[in-house]
Order: sequence, then structure tokens, then C-alpha cells
Amino acid sequence: MSSATPSPVPSSAHGHHKRHSILPAVSQSGPKPPVQFSSSCTIADSALLTGPHTIIVSTESVIHPRARLESLGGRVTVGRRCIVHERACLGAADLQGRYHKGSPDKEGRSMGAVTLGDYVTVEVGAQVESGGTVIGEGTTVGIGTRVGAGAIVGKHCTLTANSTVAAGEVIPDYTVIYSNGLRRIDRRGVSDLKNKAQARQIDVLRRMIPSNPGKFQ
Amino acid sequence: MFGNNRLPAFHPGLTQSRIRDTTTGSGLWFPGLRSPPLPSESDPANDQLPLPITQEDLYDTPMAPFNPYTYIRCPCSELNPYTKRTPDVTAQGLSRAAQDDDDHTFDPRAARSNYSLYPLEYLSFCEDCHQIRCPRCVAEEIVCYYCPNCLFEVPSSNIRSEGSRCTRSCFQCPICIGPLAVNHVETPPDPNQLLSPDHASSSHLGSYILSCSYCNWSSTEIGIKFDKPNSIHMQLAKLRNGGETRLTAKERKERRKEQASQGGGGGGSSAGQGEEDLDTLLDMETQFANLKSFYQNQLSDANGTGKVGGDPSAALGNLGFDAPASLSRIMSLYTGSSSLHDKKSKSRPGTMREALAPSEGLQLASLDESSAITALQDFESTTGLDAYSSTASTTQLQSQAPYLGASPLHGLTRFTSSLRPIPYLLRTKRSKRCPQCRHIISKPESKVTTTRFRIRLIAGNYIPTITIKQLIIPGLTPPSMPNLPPDTIEPLKPAQFVLTFKNPIFESVRVTLATPATTPGRFPAKVTILCPQFEIDSNTDVWEEALKDNNATSSSSQSQNLSSSTGPEGSGPGGRKRAGTLRPGTAGGASLAGEELGPEVGKVWERGRNWTSIVIEVIPASLVQTAKRDGRGPIKEDEDVLEIPMFVRIEWEAEAPEDEIMPGLSSAKGGNKDGGKEKRELAYWCVLGLGRVARTL
Repeated sequence: MSSATPSPVPSSAHGHHKRHSILPAVSQSGPKPPVQFSSSCTIADSALLTGPHTIIVSTESVIHPRARLESLGGRVTVGRRCIVHERACLGAADLQGRYHKGSPDKEGRSMGAVTLGDYVTVEVGAQVESGGTVIGEGTTVGIGTRVGAGAIVGKHCTLTANSTVAAGEVIPDYTVIYSNGLRRIDRRGVSDLKNKAQARQIDVLRRMIPSNPGKFQ
Repeated sequence: MFGNNRLPAFHPGLTQSRIRDTTTGSGLWFPGLRSPPLPSESDPANDQLPLPITQEDLYDTPMAPFNPYTYIRCPCSELNPYTKRTPDVTAQGLSRAAQDDDDHTFDPRAARSNYSLYPLEYLSFCEDCHQIRCPRCVAEEIVCYYCPNCLFEVPSSNIRSEGSRCTRSCFQCPICIGPLAVNHVETPPDPNQLLSPDHASSSHLGSYILSCSYCNWSSTEIGIKFDKPNSIHMQLAKLRNGGETRLTAKERKERRKEQASQGGGGGGSSAGQGEEDLDTLLDMETQFANLKSFYQNQLSDANGTGKVGGDPSAALGNLGFDAPASLSRIMSLYTGSSSLHDKKSKSRPGTMREALAPSEGLQLASLDESSAITALQDFESTTGLDAYSSTASTTQLQSQAPYLGASPLHGLTRFTSSLRPIPYLLRTKRSKRCPQCRHIISKPESKVTTTRFRIRLIAGNYIPTITIKQLIIPGLTPPSMPNLPPDTIEPLKPAQFVLTFKNPIFESVRVTLATPATTPGRFPAKVTILCPQFEIDSNTDVWEEALKDNNATSSSSQSQNLSSSTGPEGSGPGGRKRAGTLRPGTAGGASLAGEELGPEVGKVWERGRNWTSIVIEVIPASLVQTAKRDGRGPIKEDEDVLEIPMFVRIEWEAEAPEDEIMPGLSSAKGGNKDGGKEKRELAYWCVLGLGRVARTL
């Protein structure tokens, strides 16, 4: 510490003693998964990718620090221009701790653990369980939301904060899940505007989050 | 409530399910929250005894952690002191109840006492009367009205004319009650329509909408857009769902005047009106306006005067029709000379007729509801929407203003697609007054954005606060059962609690406590206060105490150790002094023979700068055995909570106020040269909730 030249301390160093969060510490554990990253995606250094199956992150998507992508139940696919916020978990275990494996679809192919369409936003602390869960294009999975295993959420849906989608449930397109599980159809017709706003947000995030995809490859 | 937002969540002894039922959801406490026993459970025919309860299964519902509480009873709940003294035979029940108040102790489980018990944070104090005031007995006055969304202060004259809702741009979403924001929408101009002659008369193509950021509702769902982003309330009043315009009262009058002038000029319009289609559907507003103007015209025509309500004679003529008979009789007394004249004037109203056309307000009742029924039955097939989520719920409908654009019968809205935004209800800032002496107890600042108070007399600044904690001495307290849930008290075993009284005022107070020997209720517990009379030192500054401490230690540390607190008023310098603590090296500590560690009768437990702790001992009754024996059914919710009613009397000396009018008077009052001290006392009942009794025995 008394050296003249200041050496950059990596954020995940063990001498990092200051912790202010009351949630348990987040650390990398488990096998390192095979990955397929697009060249333009942004993966934060302290993101957590675990599991034996492949994790795919497509063009211009952003994975925030401390987001978890677990492929223990199957392959995790993140679409284009998606944003996965901190402490969100794609491919999470259900409340009993089991990782579901999705049943194969009509053509017999494996559904994979979690599939995110394009322009999907997964907010802070959301848990998308593994087991063939599909989140449609443009959907916003709200803060703290839990999407059950095998649920199929339609396009441009809005799941507000702390809502739940039961396992295996099918949510039609443009649904808003709000309050205590109430549903309604969103008729604003602002899907294009939202997509444009998401692209602008990704522009900003790419400059703010230092990307380190090499760490996972 | 009083700017002190640290109100604890008051769910005394309630289980989680009851909390969800009775609170407003924000965790606020209000009187009556402790609910009376349910009638179904006290059914005498129900002779099911409680099942034998095993050690592992002490409670059938998951118990919330119990926090000991103190509730104080406001003296306003006592009966009028005058009724106590009158030996009224007819009010025997009343006087007997008054005697009960005197003779019997306060029963915290009575249904009536439920409403007079308040936590200390809810009580205020009147300095003139030197009495506690509760939210029930305090008189409130409104200081100002403001909108909770835009924080704009509305003068009270506007309240009378425009109503108690915000008239600017503050609205709530009709679906989810969240706040609506004004958003700009860019609609590209339709090139086909620009040249058509109908473009000017098409419905409003505004460029601002209201949208909800939570449930994603927007005003485009009812077809309403606005031209300007401000004064939306005014724009909304002129729009109907779907963008059609709606006429306000002023505009209707103007239109009618135009029609009247046109009709008089045309001459043939009355004949044309007679052939008007009787089936034209009017909405409620138009029908009411048409009828009202029609009747006003009839009245003015019948009286032969041109104006309606213009000159006083017309007003008197109007009185002749709808005034009660007594009024016209009285008026005829004064104009009694021309009685013949009066009879003529009364016979004049025969020229009135009823409405004959929709323009005059006639609306034929269409009792055929088949269209409404098919609209409901075939909703899913015609619109393709889920009928359940498209039907407006009762709460949603109740918060809607009455929709006057509907036709009078069967036109009321039922679907969420026709719900309109709700303007915010204005809130008030209120000042509180003592009901007896009219002294102001609490007065907020009239500026809306400040949350401070100009005057704030709360009870917490005058009455000692009581905190309760269970006393467990490692060597002395017998060990409790291993599987006992936390915060529960074992039955039939003595348990000790430390009550800490903290004194807020700048005088030392003497406290006297009294409780009945056994608590009232179904499971009486034996209560003993080990030190019923004690003194609490004044609430001096911390620096004063530190200075005193230094003086004491400088004199001799040993003398401080040796001076044991001999009585309840353990005198001596400040600093903690505990009666009964083992002091090494004391030679013959006076009352320390035998129990050296435990609390002793007649002595305070611990003393501090402005607080004193005493010990009380309780021996709860056994729940299960008593419930089996008395045959009053199973143990109801919250019957196992151990509550002690306690009577607290506080005495202190305060400085008597100087008589300003005659400054010489105080000195003439027998020469009170020592500051004119006046003895004051305050007494009240309070209830201590100590904990739940375990259902082991």
C-alpha cells in the first residue's frame, strides 16, 4: 500500500471490505458455462454466469453487474437489445430450490431454461425461473417479479413490481399485470416508442458499464 | 399525526389475519381496533372443549411477535361528572354505571373501553386545563385546503363554489387510482383529411393525453385528448367519452337564448317543435336542463311577468306555488285587506301545463332493456375482451363522478372502458382546540409545503412515558420451558417486568401507582407492584448531570457506594443507582440480607437522570384449565393477552403564573417568596399489555 505508483484495484478483489447491502454477498460459484456472446453486447465484470448449458447473449444487450444467468436447467437465451438489471436472475430455481428442465416443444427440440425475446427489460431483483420460460418481445419484467417455470409471457407485456406469474401460465400479448394479480390489456399502442427508448437507454448504458466478455469466454 | 411520524404499528395482541381486516392498510391505528369477541364463537350450544394442546403445537395460527404496549385512557370517556351526583331514579342505569366507574376498576376488555384507549403518541395535552385530550374529544378547525398532488392551496371560497376537488390538472387513474401524468402525443396529420370540408367539425384532435404509469391506462382508451397541457379539469368538463363536446350550464343558456331569439324572429318554429320526434334520446343533463327552463318559463308566464326571478314581485309570485301553505297564510295576513285579490292570484296557476316534447324535457320511458341485456351477454363475442376484467368493480364505480351524459334509464356505465379520470380530493390542514377552555392545542403552519407546527402540545411532553421489558436475572429467574415461543409468559409462575417511567418535564414528579390485585377478565392474573410510590427526577440537561456527577465523584467515591437507597425516594446526586445490586465490599448493606440480587418491595429498581424503573410481578392464570372449567367456549382471539389496568397519579410542583394585571398581588398572597410554587396533580388510567400467556397449562 505504500508503493508510489497507484495500482488499480479490481472490484472483485478480496481486500474489498466495505459492504453496505444487507442482502447476502454475491459471488461466482459453480461451473463456467459455454457462452455465445455477440460482439456488441455489454457484460459487466461482476455478472454471474453459471451452469453447464450454453448462455447466449445477442446483439447490443446489456447485462448489469451482479446479474445472474444460471443455465442449470437448460440453455439461457437473451435476445437483442435486452437489459438485465442487477440481482435479476434468469434461470432461477423455484421457491423449493429445484431447477426445472423445460419439456420439449412441438418439434421435439429442447425449450431451454429461459428465452428472452428482443427488447426485453428484466428489472432489479426479478427472478425468471428455468424450465422453458419464454418472455416475449418488448416485455418489461418488473422489479422483484417472479415468473414461474414454463410460463409463456406474450409480447409487449408489463409485469409491474412484485407481481407473480404462476408456473406454466400463458400471458397474452399486451397484458399488464398490476396490483394483486389483476390483469388488463394495454391499448396505448406505444410499442415502437418503447423500443426506441430502449435503444437510447442501451446507448447510455454501454458507455457507463465497463464490459468484460472475455472473462466468461 | 403530530409531525412525529414515528408512530409504531398498533396491533396490540392481534393476529395477522385481523390486522389485514381492520387496518386501513397503512398500518395506522385507530380506536376500536381491538375487536370485541365474535358472536359466533360464544355460542352456548357449542360445547366443544379445546383440544388437548401438545407442546409442539401451542398455537394454531402463526403468531406475530408481541410488543408490550401502553395505552392511556382519556378522561373524556368518563361520564359527565354531574350525572354522578344527581340521584336520578329514571337514570338509574346511568348512575349505577357512574358508580361502577368510581368503585370498580377500569376494565380494558370492556367493549366501550376499546374506544377510549390511545397510545401516548396520539394524545395531546391542554396547558390551561392541565388535562389529557384525545382525538375524540378535541375540536378540529380547518386551517387550509390543498391538493395532495400539486400542493396548491385552494382558498375556502373556491371550495364552496367549485367543490372539494382539484380543478387544475391533477387526476387519478380510474382503474388503479394511481396519479395520472400529462403526456404529449404526436399525431401525424392525415393528408387525406386536410382538404375535406368536414375536417374543421371533426372531434377534437388534441395532442395531450393523461396516462397512468402503473397500469398503463391512458385517456385515449375513452377517446379523450387535450389541446393544452394545463387546466385539464376545464377541458375535461367539456368533453365526453369519445371526444364529443359537452355543454356546460352557461353554454346551454346562451344556446337557448339564441334559439329563443331565432324562434321569435322565425315565427314558424313553434309549429315545427310540435312535430318534434318524441323518441329522441336525451341524456340526463340535457333533459334536466330542458325541464328546468321549461318550468321556469311556465311559472313566469303564469304570473304574467316577463322575467323569471328578476324582480322581487316575480319572486313572490314563485313563492305562491311551492311555498308551504303556512307561509302564504302569513303573507295573506299582511295583505289581508284585499282578500278577493289574493283568491284571484291563487287561482291563476291553472294555466301551467306539463312538458310535451323532448326539447321541453319530456323523455318517454323505454322499459325495453333487451339492448342492454344483449350488450352484457354477448360482450365477449362482440368485443373479444374478457368480460370479467372489463366490468368495472364497485370501488371503481364509487369513485366516479355521476356520469350525466348517460340516458336517464339503463344508460349507466358498467364497463371499465367508460371510466373517466377522477380529480383529486382536496385535503385539509387542521388545528385542534381543547373543547373546554378553547385553548389551541395544535396548529400547523398555513403554508402547505411546510410540515411544521406553530403550536404543538402533545402529551408526550407532559406525561411520563412507560416502557415495559421482561426482567430476567441470570441467576435468580427460574428457567422457562424450552419450547416456549418468544414474548410469552408462563402461566401460574411469577414473572417480573421492569417498567421504566421517563419524565419529560423540568420538574421532578412523584408517581403513585395502583392496580387491582387481580386483572379483570376471563383469565385473572395476580399483579403486585413492588414499588407503588416513587419519584422521578426532572428532565434536566445532560450537561447538568455530568457536572453533578463530577462533583459527586470528587467528594468521595466510597461514600456514593455506601449510601444505599433506603426508601422509595432514593435521594443523592444523579447517576444510576440500583437497589438490590450486589455491591462488593459493602459493610452491612442495610436491606441486603437474603435476596441480594432480586428486586425488593418498596424500592425502585433503577434510577437515572430523568427516569426511574420499578418492578412489577405478575402470576398469570392458566388458560387451558380455566377455559375447560368455566364453560365459556374456547379461548378467543386476544383473550390470552395479559393486560393490566393501572391507575397513575402524578404530582409535581409548577411555577404559578404571575398575575399580570396586578403585579403586586402575588406578593400579597401570603408572601410566597419561594417562586410561587403551585402543586399540581394529574391522574389517569392506563393499560399495560405485557405479553401473551402460553397455553401450556
